[in-house]
Amino acid sequence: MEPKEATGKENMGSKRKNLTFLRPRLYMLERRKTDTVVENNVSGDQSGTLRRSQSDRTEYNQKLQEKMTPQAGCSAAEALTQEEERQMKRMMAKRSKIIKELIQTEKDYLNDLQLCLKEVVQPLRNKQIDRLDVDGLFSNIESVHQISAKLLSLLEEATTDVEPTMQVIGEVFLQIKGPLEDIYKIYCYHHDEAHSVLESYEKEEELKQHLSHCIQSLKKIYVEEGKPNLLDMGSLMIKPIQRVMKYPLLLCELRNSTPPSHPDYRALEDAFAAVKDINVNINELKRRKDLVLKYKKNDEDESLKDKLSKLNIHSISKKSKRVTNHLKILTRGESQVKDNTFNREEKLFRCLEKTVKHCVKNISFCLQHIQDAMPLTLQSVTELQEISCNKDEEGNGYSESPSNAQNPCDDFAAHLQRLVLMPLSALLALFPGPQKLIQKRYDKLLDYNSYLQRSTGDESDLAKKEYEALNAQLVEELKVFNQAARKILLNCLRSFITLFRDLMLKAQRVYSIVMPVPLFASSISEIQNRVLEEFQNLNFVRDGCSTFIERKLSFEKKKPVQILPEMPRQTDTHRSKLLSTYSAEDLYQAKRKCNATQEYDINLLEGELVAVMEQKDPLGSTCRWLVDTGIVKGYVYSSFLKPYNPAKVQKVDAENRFCDDDFDNISLFVSSRPASDSVTGTPEGSISDSSSSLSGTCGKLEVNGTDNDSFQEVDEQIFYAVHAFQARSDHELSLQEYQRVHILRFCDLSGNKEWWLAEAQGQKGYVPAKYLGKMTYA
Amino acid sequence: MKKSTDADLAMSKSAVKISLDLLSNPLCEQDQEFLNMVTALDTAMKRMDAFNQEKVNQIQKTVIEPLKKFGSVFPSLNMAVKRREQALQDYRRLQAKVEKYEEKEKTGPVLAKLHQAREELRPVRDDFEAKNKQLLDEMPQFYNSRLNYFQPSFESLIRAQVVYYSEMHKIFGDLTQQLDQPGHSDEQRERENEARLSELRALSIVADD
Repeated sequence: MEPKEATGKENMGSKRKNLTFLRPRLYMLERRKTDTVVENNVSGDQSGTLRRSQSDRTEYNQKLQEKMTPQAGCSAAEALTQEEERQMKRMMAKRSKIIKELIQTEKDYLNDLQLCLKEVVQPLRNKQIDRLDVDGLFSNIESVHQISAKLLSLLEEATTDVEPTMQVIGEVFLQIKGPLEDIYKIYCYHHDEAHSVLESYEKEEELKQHLSHCIQSLKKIYVEEGKPNLLDMGSLMIKPIQRVMKYPLLLCELRNSTPPSHPDYRALEDAFAAVKDINVNINELKRRKDLVLKYKKNDEDESLKDKLSKLNIHSISKKSKRVTNHLKILTRGESQVKDNTFNREEKLFRCLEKTVKHCVKNISFCLQHIQDAMPLTLQSVTELQEISCNKDEEGNGYSESPSNAQNPCDDFAAHLQRLVLMPLSALLALFPGPQKLIQKRYDKLLDYNSYLQRSTGDESDLAKKEYEALNAQLVEELKVFNQAARKILLNCLRSFITLFRDLMLKAQRVYSIVMPVPLFASSISEIQNRVLEEFQNLNFVRDGCSTFIERKLSFEKKKPVQILPEMPRQTDTHRSKLLSTYSAEDLYQAKRKCNATQEYDINLLEGELVAVMEQKDPLGSTCRWLVDTGIVKGYVYSSFLKPYNPAKVQKVDAENRFCDDDFDNISLFVSSRPASDSVTGTPEGSISDSSSSLSGTCGKLEVNGTDNDSFQEVDEQIFYAVHAFQARSDHELSLQEYQRVHILRFCDLSGNKEWWLAEAQGQKGYVPAKYLGKMTYA
Repeated sequence: MKKSTDADLAMSKSAVKISLDLLSNPLCEQDQEFLNMVTALDTAMKRMDAFNQEKVNQIQKTVIEPLKKFGSVFPSLNMAVKRREQALQDYRRLQAKVEKYEEKEKTGPVLAKLHQAREELRPVRDDFEAKNKQLLDEMPQFYNSRLNYFQPSFESLIRAQVVYYSEMHKIFGDLTQQLDQPGHSDEQRERENEARLSELRALSIVADD
């Protein structure tokens, strides 16, 4: 026991069971070397000052008087310094007491922590009970232990071997205040939760057993040491908090009892301020957490009724105030509290949210499309493959691979879902929480703003504190949030790209398998055109072509007309034969086209000459007559026939001849198929199916041949005679009804537009324009 | 076939949209790395779109159109078959008639009719047989030639796909190389994401479920 150390403590040594009291005298002796006069007196008095604490004054007075009496000659200054010295002494005594207390308590605390760790935490940890979350209960108690040990060692270092006058406790605290704050902050932060967790554990029998078991063992030790004041786990857990709150008190006392001249004074002030700050910070931290929790809980699961019940005067006034403030800010742009960091973070936050939302939406769209597209492609490939390969060939080999290829798409989808969409959606779900808090912060800001203008008071302090607490909390956590969110986003994007690439690779492989080996150098179109030409050479295509056109032109269903296709039309020879064979009254002319409808009927074209052989049919009806067309004999309904007028023969002849010419001239046919330009069609007989007017047919036939151009030119100048016209002179041309003529000039020599120069059958002449009508093709 | 090309186009369009949106996002202003990445992604997507378009065009040219042309041959084939059918019908009918007459007693008018019927029968029969033969000849020809016809189409289709996908693969391979963190396996990424998410959830400001 060093004298110095002992004296330092024993000056205060009222409550402590400490050592000799003689030392003070020694100490005082040493100290007051300069003041020999007082020594004796003082030392004498010291013995009675053992248990004094509050009675300084009386004793001081006593001493003073003692001093004064024996030494009447002492100067007042001396007396004063004496007082000062005494005060000093007392202070130092007190100081050393406090320091002693500090160190002792720290030691005890450390001891407690040690025991706690040894008896409770470690066994629990070792047991590894499932639902018992040791960390949740005790969070960073090891660090607390460590720092306490460090503090203790520092304190001891500062006080051992150091003169009391030189002891600088403040420095110790200043040194350690950084880590101290951090560690205790964490512990305190978690303490609340730990407490509620502990409560939940107490409810469960099994866990409670474990806990009480540990407590029991701990209690035993305490009892051995003589400190039976441990209640339960809760009190154990709260010790660090109590300790950290004690520091300011201790330091305050220490400072108060340190004379200003002491080198420690300064340091102590700073240390005191620092430790107080620590506490304030811890409080603020707690406040932030509470606020956040409060508002977080508020917005969850609120029904309308709950909301309504919350409405009361207070809240309404609060809300209205906020609204006005908000408007004020918007409209007048008053000076307001700004926090740029926060604004930045918030902006980032919102950007991230938007990005993530868009990403999710777009990626899922993309996925959907891919899922649509790829199978379709594969399907079409398979189908094409089937067409283009013989079934007997290695079609089997081919057909396997496309079906396998369905899988890369599904794989891709599954992976994408897992790696990209799910995290992003989860992230998206996390956004609303902070949103609400940001909103709340804004409200607090408004409140604070409104108080700024007014005088300070409790309310404004509170508002300020709340706002700042919320602000700080948000800033801190938004930073973390933003960073993490950004990382997730980037990660997801990268995964997406990688997946995409893999998908492409797989698809490529699939197709490479299917691909036939030789890659043609020649262009595809050449090959195909060749094939198409081959087709056109096929007969049935040609026939099909014409049939096709027939269909188009006729719009009629093909009746089982067996005779008509075979039957050539009446030619002049036939007619002349008829004429010669039969007498005039037997000759009839078909008024219009008649189709065979019954057995032995024949088809007649308009104007065809027939000779009636019998005016009744086998059944006896007089409606059907047996006629001879010169080619075949058959029955025709009499109503179709009209008496043949030889005067009209020429016309008929001409007509027919015309048609013959036309028919003969036509070698090409209408082609409606775009692919084949060179299909030839034969108009034999099949043309007769078409329109009722012969002239109409003739007209149609002329269209679209290879001699297209010339024909068309000619077409435009082909007119037909609406009425028959008898030429009265050489200049004029006779026309039969419906006779076609080519118009060479649309006016005569004198420019008269009413007479046109027409050509027909090699003869030219003028015809009246009014008798002519333009050919319109059906 | 057409549907698949449409779907392909839609897909590439949506892919481009992803990158466009990302790019237009103000986040890019703040974050250089992000901006770089997104620009690269955007370029890649646009190229993909271009390629896709090209591929579709090519397929259009070499597959779809030929298919259509080929298809247009069929109506005439059908027609020819129908005509043959009809010829067959006529033939049968006349045949029946002839037989009927043959069965009847050989009286004068009947004989005459029989003769007449036979006359009618002959050309019809000839016609039918001609048609039949024609079809028999030509249809196999037609059918076989389709192989030649479609082989090139098929090849071109496959080739187009292969080219497209290899191109895409290259593009995206480059892209992944370009961006940092290449070579993370899927599980790694997943774990990382989970870690971040749990980090986020641990934040007090985030709402708990």
